[in-house]
Amino acid sequence: MASGSVDVTYRGIFQKILAGNIVKTLVKASRHSGKIGGTISRYSDSPERNGIPAKQFAVIAESQDELHVEMAKYEPDNIRLIAALDDTLAKGHESWAWYGIRPIHLGLREGGALLVVSEHERAKLLEFIPRLPFEWRLAILPGEKSFSGLWVYHDDGTEFRVLGAIARLIPEVVGLEELEKEVGKGPKAEQHLDWLRQGYREVQVGTVPAGVGAPNTYEPVKLPEWTEMAEAIIVPAAPRGGRQEAFKKFTTRSERPVIDFDVCTQCKQCFVECPDSVFELTPEGYYNPEYEACCGCGICAEVCPVDDCIVMVDELAFADNRDLYEEWKADRAAYRQFFQGLLERERVTARSSRRKVSA
Amino acid sequence: MAITQTRPQERPELAPIRTIRDVPVEEFYTSGHRTCQGCHSALLMKYLAKAAGPRTVTIGATGCMYVANTSYYATPWVIPWMHTQLGATGSAVIGAAAGYAVQQRKGKLAEEPINVIGIAGDGGGADMGLSAISAALQHTQYNVLIILYDNESYANTDIQASGSTPWGAVTAFTPSGTVKRITQDRWKKNTPGMLVAGHPEARYIGSASAAFGVDVMNKIRTALRVGGPTYLHVHDACPKGWDFDPRYSRELGQLAVECGIVPLWEVIEGELQYNGITRQIVEGRRKRKPVREYLMRQGRFAHFTEEDVDYFQAKVDEMWEKWILPGVLPVQALPEGLPKPGRRAAGLADGAGAAANGAVAP
Repeated sequence: MASGSVDVTYRGIFQKILAGNIVKTLVKASRHSGKIGGTISRYSDSPERNGIPAKQFAVIAESQDELHVEMAKYEPDNIRLIAALDDTLAKGHESWAWYGIRPIHLGLREGGALLVVSEHERAKLLEFIPRLPFEWRLAILPGEKSFSGLWVYHDDGTEFRVLGAIARLIPEVVGLEELEKEVGKGPKAEQHLDWLRQGYREVQVGTVPAGVGAPNTYEPVKLPEWTEMAEAIIVPAAPRGGRQEAFKKFTTRSERPVIDFDVCTQCKQCFVECPDSVFELTPEGYYNPEYEACCGCGICAEVCPVDDCIVMVDELAFADNRDLYEEWKADRAAYRQFFQGLLERERVTARSSRRKVSA
Repeated sequence: MAITQTRPQERPELAPIRTIRDVPVEEFYTSGHRTCQGCHSALLMKYLAKAAGPRTVTIGATGCMYVANTSYYATPWVIPWMHTQLGATGSAVIGAAAGYAVQQRKGKLAEEPINVIGIAGDGGGADMGLSAISAALQHTQYNVLIILYDNESYANTDIQASGSTPWGAVTAFTPSGTVKRITQDRWKKNTPGMLVAGHPEARYIGSASAAFGVDVMNKIRTALRVGGPTYLHVHDACPKGWDFDPRYSRELGQLAVECGIVPLWEVIEGELQYNGITRQIVEGRRKRKPVREYLMRQGRFAHFTEEDVDYFQAKVDEMWEKWILPGVLPVQALPEGLPKPGRRAAGLADGAGAAANGAVAP
């Protein structure tokens, strides 16, 4: 028997109901073993925006006092399990201005588990997840990311499969038996119980030794003090010809646009219609995306009149925000190969994972 | 001595944009805003800053375009932007324009045209700020443009119904339940039509969509060139509140126009002009698409039955077939015996500006 906090990190709005259902069910299930708990939402920007990295927490305790202590924290720490509902969150999350990009396992305790819903292998995820000074567990629940909208929820099994995986990873906090009791009460209980047990069976767990993973470059950010700010709530304007630097927005995206400059007709449509002003005019007349500003909405790929000129590629196919236009300019043959490789090997989707809105 | 701004004369920087090639490259509203993926209201901010250029001051009411663009001590605005209270857009822009006029008269500011643009959402403009916008449109001695970005809900506080929310749409205030399927039972308010009917002295009032960038930017420039108090109503696709994949924002905005739900028009100095697809519909060169194509692409209408779609279609048909000015003004009940003014008589051919001159009611 133990208590602890579970952090569910998800894509704003697209996975809001999913994350909320998971934390609520965890708290309700923990009551079956005599524990109490509460949930915390709205970790991210309020109101929550499409795609922005967000968190909801389930805090489970054995006594009122313990619960109050944990709930009173600004942000739960000493976390037993973090569930990332979209694997591209493995690259870290920037939910507010000034905070910078925070690692996906921020706050995880020694021996804690990071559960990722992913179709990728462990090695691929560890290319992006920073190393820690202690041993921890990386668990993968095989599957596509589940995206839906604000009003229509997709009961596609992810919710219950994640709960099953959590029971496998931290049975001392919430066990499968308690979850079965709770899930068995709801509508469509049989199907949901099936999914719950499936997640319990299918989750792949392994330990990650101290020091294994990507370089950890995270430093807690020093926020500007009121004495450093201008009087009368004056916010400095973005520089003419420049960009706003305190918030980059790119951890909002699950996919990035990649352009085949060989077939680009310089029609300017992507430049004009990008809500985030991502594209920059090159001296040669092309429109080159600044990936640090791109939130991956996919409008450019949609409005581009040329087939397969702008394609949306899984964010995990890239380690950084490097300038692809420069690479194309330097060696067009190599770029052609790279672009073809993306089309063949990577998830280049018309967002099949995301609902194209029901009919 | 009255404080009067002169009517803008030559404004070469506000020349019409003929094609997408002419769209200025420089951004005055740049990246780093915290809007949703695919936000067409943010796109509209970019368009307005681009079209108006560097000698522009913007004043925005509370709403998405306030919170997402200025909190956490960071902003994508390159040009000055100032916050005003929810209902205050109209008063704030008139005050600012008057202030600049005084300063210029006293020689404290160089004599030059300064674009004063007010920005309000549908909650801040069509609901709470309507009276102040109406008042602003009477102050003919000042040059201001008020832009209403209509994403059809109080989107900043997580999608509550506004007077601009379409009939039947699900919002946080109007869920669809098993007992009552439709709880948003109010038909959408016709804000630009109302303002045209009631403000004959406003020299520019228009209706646009952020899905048509060149059209929007031209309307902004026309309004600024024409001068006086002007108003532009812009329909913006909201992927979060309407519940669709962000990549389809343009398509959804375009469908609203193609289905005839959102008409594109402008009344310039009393003369009504329809624009783009709407013009083709009015002139009979294009058929309206069934509203189903628009409605069924959005989660907020996912609960609609055939009956609901038919009702929606019938209301839109009425707007086109029975209104005195199709899609613009709805005066239907004319005394028996009076010739029903067709769209031609009412403003298309004559350009009589019946609408803007207050001559629409018999």
